[in-house]
Amino acid sequence: MKRNECIAMLLAGGQGSRLKALTKSIAKPAVSFGGKYRIIDFSLSNCANSGINTVGVLTQYRPFLLNSYISSGASWNLNSRDGGVFVLPPYATESGGSWYEGTADAIFRNLEFLDIYDSEYVLILSGDHLYRMDYRKMLKNHKEKGADLSVSVMQVPWDEASRFGIITADEDGRIVKFTEKPAEPDSNLASMGIYIFSKDILVKALIEDSTDENSDHDFGKNIIPKLLAEGKNLFTYEFSGFWKDVGTIPAYHETSMSLLDDDPAFVLDDPEFPFMSNSNIYPPQYIGANADIKQSLVANGCYVKGTVHHSILSINASVDEGAVVKDSVLLPGAHVEKDAVVIKAILGENAVVKSGCTFGSGEDDAEIALLGNHEVYEGGQQ
Amino acid sequence: MDKVIGIIAANYDTPDLETLTHDRTIASLPYCGRYRLIDFALSNMVNSGIETVGLVLPYKYRSIIDHIGIGKEWSLDKKNGGLFILPGSAFGISASTDRFIVRDFGRNSVYLHRSPAPHVVVTASNMVCNIDYSGLYEEHLKSGADITMVQTVAKHDNEYVSRIISENGRVKDVIKGVRKGEEAFIDSFIINRELLTDIIEGYKAVSYSDMFQCLRDSYDQLNVRTYDYDGYVKSIFNINSYFEGNMESLANEVDKALFCPDRPILTKEQDSVPTKYGRECEVRNSIIPAGCKIEGNVENSVLFRHVVVEKDAIVRNSIIMQDCVIKSGAIVENAIIDRGNIVGEDTVIKGTEEKKFILPKKKD
Repeated sequence: MKRNECIAMLLAGGQGSRLKALTKSIAKPAVSFGGKYRIIDFSLSNCANSGINTVGVLTQYRPFLLNSYISSGASWNLNSRDGGVFVLPPYATESGGSWYEGTADAIFRNLEFLDIYDSEYVLILSGDHLYRMDYRKMLKNHKEKGADLSVSVMQVPWDEASRFGIITADEDGRIVKFTEKPAEPDSNLASMGIYIFSKDILVKALIEDSTDENSDHDFGKNIIPKLLAEGKNLFTYEFSGFWKDVGTIPAYHETSMSLLDDDPAFVLDDPEFPFMSNSNIYPPQYIGANADIKQSLVANGCYVKGTVHHSILSINASVDEGAVVKDSVLLPGAHVEKDAVVIKAILGENAVVKSGCTFGSGEDDAEIALLGNHEVYEGGQQ
Repeated sequence: MDKVIGIIAANYDTPDLETLTHDRTIASLPYCGRYRLIDFALSNMVNSGIETVGLVLPYKYRSIIDHIGIGKEWSLDKKNGGLFILPGSAFGISASTDRFIVRDFGRNSVYLHRSPAPHVVVTASNMVCNIDYSGLYEEHLKSGADITMVQTVAKHDNEYVSRIISENGRVKDVIKGVRKGEEAFIDSFIINRELLTDIIEGYKAVSYSDMFQCLRDSYDQLNVRTYDYDGYVKSIFNINSYFEGNMESLANEVDKALFCPDRPILTKEQDSVPTKYGRECEVRNSIIPAGCKIEGNVENSVLFRHVVVEKDAIVRNSIIMQDCVIKSGAIVENAIIDRGNIVGEDTVIKGTEEKKFILPKKKD
């Protein structure tokens, strides 16, 4: 087997509970986004486009859809002879088994996997972020700086800074201070949860952390502060493009709607650095004789016979005659029946709004209406 | 269906598709927004449970191979069985629409000899339909026939399609050209493998002929039977049938019959982004695949991937193939715009109902 310079470990075990009904039966990285993608597509495509051909995907919460979706990795060209995509759920050993207890613990318990591939560098990613990034540039920076650990960072609005791991760096990019979710941030340089470790440093830190009873076994809370305290070479890699963690329903809705802008901040279509996905083969869209469709994104397998304005129709979604869909996101297979009205809403996968019903509200202060996967709305309380 | 292997005949051409087949074969003709004609034959095979498929290719095979690759999308990339690319004979194919040339089978008899399967389903590659061959197979076993041919009642006169003359389900003759209401051969049949091998051997001297032409003297000795198919089928041999077929797919019932989720028509996977509809577009009764940008008006039309219709452009009763741009103010009506064309600003391209305007494929 050819030795890879860098392999990726993709953390995909989180539930993403703030996405409520959307993550009731599937993990957050498996949530549909942008009409034809699932959130994990963006990280997997970034890996593939960055020439990283070995990816370990750490799963834990409701993994079935992720497992079948990732399959052989062929959809992202990751089914190569020297690598591949490997789903890594928690497993038992002779001393028993347990769940992954934190991001660092998840990697620690797969040190054997790191040993098998024995790369010089390990890229650690979250499987639930939306962005386009060439990790080769970050790796180049890591090597040039002689870093032990590089943390990808970006400027965030000051009022949001307390949601992130906040970093203070000197002019050369050397990290001098790292605080996880500070109440009163003194910098607005936020960690994006993307790390490149020199493998030996990572292995040593994880082994030491595993025996620390006071540790939460978390990269942001424990590993990074520990390496910083030890005087290791920690550097930032500054990123300036679009990056988003759509952790909540309002954020999910807002980010989805921003794809409909004339010049969207998040560009899905870039032939040089394409986002790939494992989509079943559906027929093209059919737009009906009485349809009225404007400012919308529509994936294959959809039919539109009613009105669709400023909305996203994911794979296989359908809107019947006389129905109206506005400012909404229909996830794969969602169906709006005849004369129904859907406004400012998210309809989960295979959800149905029954004929004549109104779901959601167009009023300015109305919350985003959410219908869970496979749920049927027949009127009444939303 | 592990006792059945498949052969798809794609080594034929017709001059009547004009420039549409200058640079591609009939089998790789784009169809219904995101497909190629070959997708129907291939998908019908695999959806019926046939896991070994030989594909007889013509000389102009680039576009087909580009589309099919190793057969991944049809799950034909297998260790055992799977897709076999079979070279077709180069003799006399240019003007002939014969589908089942004996020499094409003879050249590839190794494919037949290596398989232990006793039956072979053979189909042409320009019949648009969604058929489950397991019914044909069961009927074939039950009747004990040597060959069972799939027939349907012709909806129109058609000079390209063969007529089956039969008595009580037993075929008496197969002749070129069919009239409305007669039994039309839809170019799919099942044959016992050894018989096919015998036919290859026995008709060596006239191997440039169509198999059913060769068998004309033998229908009283061979047990050749018919199998009725009453689903939707469209045979594509000329511009009119090609255009009609695409337009018929706009109708709900045809769409449902062709693209039923239980037997999906599979095609090459693409990473196209969802189609973006603009603020002022007007789109009615049209098939549009992912990867398009629609700012203008599209009506009664079939578009293919990566088509851009700019603001104030009008596309009506037309087929617009992959990578075309219809610039602002342009009007395209009753036309087939082949791949890669840019229809310039305020340009008007109009054919008529009877005679479609064809803008040939843009040369790279």
